[in-house]
Amino acid sequence: MARLSLSALGRRIAPGWRTNDRRSVSSWPGAIVVLMALAVVLASAPAAHAQQTLPDPDQIKSQGMATPGGSVRPPANAVNLPDTSGSSVRRPGETGRPAPAMTVPGNAVGNESVTESLWDRVRHGQRGAVVVPGAEQGVLIQSAGEEWRLIRNDQVVHYGGMLLLAVLTAIVLFYLIRGRIKIEGGRSGLVIPRFTLAQRIAHWFAATLFVLLALSGLIILFGKSVLLPVLGPTGFAVVASASMQGHNLFGPLFLPAVLAILVLFIKGNAPRAVDVSWLFKAGGLFGSHASAGKYNAGQKLWFLMTIILGVAISVSGFVLLFPDFIAERSQAQLANLAHGIAAVIFIAVGIGHAYIGSLGMEGAFEAMSTGTVDTNWAKEHHDIWYAEHKGQAMADTGRAEVEAGAAGDGVMHGVRP
Amino acid sequence: MIQFIEGPLWYLALTVFVVGVAWRIIALVTMKRPADLSEARSGSSGAGGAVKAIIQHSVPHGGNLGRTLYHFVTGYLFHVGLLVLILFAAPHVEFIQERLIGADIGWPKLPRWGFIIAAEAAFAGLILLYVHRLTDPVKKQLSDIDDHLGVWLTFIVMLTGCLALQEAHAGLRAFHLLTVEALMIYFPFSRLIHAFTFLLSRARTGATYGRRGFAP
Repeated sequence: MARLSLSALGRRIAPGWRTNDRRSVSSWPGAIVVLMALAVVLASAPAAHAQQTLPDPDQIKSQGMATPGGSVRPPANAVNLPDTSGSSVRRPGETGRPAPAMTVPGNAVGNESVTESLWDRVRHGQRGAVVVPGAEQGVLIQSAGEEWRLIRNDQVVHYGGMLLLAVLTAIVLFYLIRGRIKIEGGRSGLVIPRFTLAQRIAHWFAATLFVLLALSGLIILFGKSVLLPVLGPTGFAVVASASMQGHNLFGPLFLPAVLAILVLFIKGNAPRAVDVSWLFKAGGLFGSHASAGKYNAGQKLWFLMTIILGVAISVSGFVLLFPDFIAERSQAQLANLAHGIAAVIFIAVGIGHAYIGSLGMEGAFEAMSTGTVDTNWAKEHHDIWYAEHKGQAMADTGRAEVEAGAAGDGVMHGVRP
Repeated sequence: MIQFIEGPLWYLALTVFVVGVAWRIIALVTMKRPADLSEARSGSSGAGGAVKAIIQHSVPHGGNLGRTLYHFVTGYLFHVGLLVLILFAAPHVEFIQERLIGADIGWPKLPRWGFIIAAEAAFAGLILLYVHRLTDPVKKQLSDIDDHLGVWLTFIVMLTGCLALQEAHAGLRAFHLLTVEALMIYFPFSRLIHAFTFLLSRARTGATYGRRGFAP
C-alpha cells in the first residue's frame, strides 16, 4: 500500500492549496503551519470550501500524484479479464467460464471499460449530478478518508510517538547529566510577589484540563498501538470509550482556559531585544548568565505556543465535536490531523515546561503555588525583573503570599492593591 | 464483582447515606441551645430574619459583589450543574426509577446537549473552586483533609460518570456506581452534609440576628 504524505492529502482535501516547491510543502513545519491555518479557516468558511469541485482524476494521474482510490481495490468480484472476449468485467456470481461478449454502451472504444471508468471516477471522488441538496450528496465514495486514515495511523502516530519519546528521553538524560538546577546563591530568605491569584488560578485551571485532555487524547491516538496489545480488545474498548467521552467533555473548557491565559499573561510577554541574547545563550544552560525580564524568551515562546496551539486544537476540536456544522467530511479529516499534530507538539513542549517548572529547577514551582519567588532565584533567572521589583522583597513569606494573593483578588474583584 | 457493586454494596451505601443524613439533621434540629431571654426588637422577628438570611446569602449583597463574584459564579456553576446532573441526567432518572420509585413515577430527562452543558458547568465550577482553595493563602490554611477528600471524591464520581457516558460497557457503569457508593458512605460524616443543612444553618443564623433587628 503506497505511503502517503501530508502534502498529497492537502492537495486532495484542500484543492486550492498549490505550490511549486514540493519540499517546502512536504516538510513538517510548513505542513503544520498550513494545517493550523486551515483548521482556523475551516470553521469560518466551510460553505465556500464546499463549492469547490474536485480535480479531474485523469489529470492528477498524469501528473504522477497519489490519488484517492489509487490504493484501494475495486469492488468484490469485479475482476478484469484478459482482453479476449470483448468484455473486461466478470459479473458477481460468475465463475470460471469466459464471459460472453458484451455490447459496450455509450462512446466507449477499444479496451476501455465503461464499468472501470465509472469505478475509477467513483473511487477518485468525482462528484455526480444529484437533485438532493448538500455538498457531499453527489459523491458516492469519499476516497480521501482512506488517505486520512493512513496518514493518521502511519505518520502522525509514528512521528508523534517518536517526538514524545525523544522529549522524555532528553529530559531524563538532562536530569541525569545536569541534575536539578539549584539556586546558586542559596535561598536568601527574602521573597517577592510574582504571580497574582488570578494568574495562578488561570494557570492551574488550564493545566488541569491540559493533563486530563492529554492523557485521554494520547490514549485515543496511541492506544491502538500501545494499549491494545496489552489490554486486549475488550479491555482496550473500555479504556478507549472512557477516554473518548472524557476527552469530548473536557475539550470545550480548554478554549476559555487558553483565552484566560492570553488575557492574564500577555503583559510582559512582548518580545524584547534581550530575548535574542537569551536565546543565543540557550537560557544560560551552558554556563554564561542570560538576562531576562519578567519572562525569558523560552517562556515567551511557550506562551505563544500555548495561545496558537491551544486555539488551533480548540477550533479543530469543535469541528470534530460538531460535524453537523461542517459542509464536507474532508474538513473533519483535516481538522483531525491538525488536532492530533498540534496536540502532540503541545504535549511534547508541555512536558518540558512541567519539568523545568517543578523537578528541574529549584524555586520555580513556588512561583505558581504561592505566587512568590526567592530573591536569589529572581536575581539568577530574571535579573531585569528583579531589579525593578527588589523593593518589594520581604522576609515574611506568609505576608508576601497574602500580598500576591491580594493582588490576584484585586484583578478579579476590581480592587487595585 | 459487578453484581456485588450493583446489589449488596448499593443497599449498604444507601442505608448509610439515608440513616446518616437523617441522624445529622435530627441532631442539628434538636440541638439544645440556651434560651434567648432578650426582647425582640420592635418590628423584627426570627422568622423574617431567617427568610432574609436565606435569600441574602444566596446572592451577593451589601456591596460585596466585587469580593464575592468569583465564588458566586463558580459556586453556582458547580452546584447547579451537579444538581441538574444528579436529578435529570437520563441514566440517573432511569436508575432512580428502577431502584427506588418505580417506573410509574418520573420526570423529564435531560437531552444530551443539556447533559453536556450541565456537566461542563459542574466540572468548570468544581475545578475553579478547588484551584482557588489550593492557591488562596487564607483558604489554603483553613482547608483540612475533609475538604480535600470531599472535593476529590466528588470529582472522581463526576469523572467516572462522564467516562461511562457511552453506556456501552457494564464495567464503566459499575466503576461509576462504586465511586458513588464510596461518596454516599462518606457523605454524612463530612462537610458534604452542607447539601442538606445549608438552609437550616442560614435560617438559624438569620433568625438569631433577625430577632435583634439586623441581618448579617
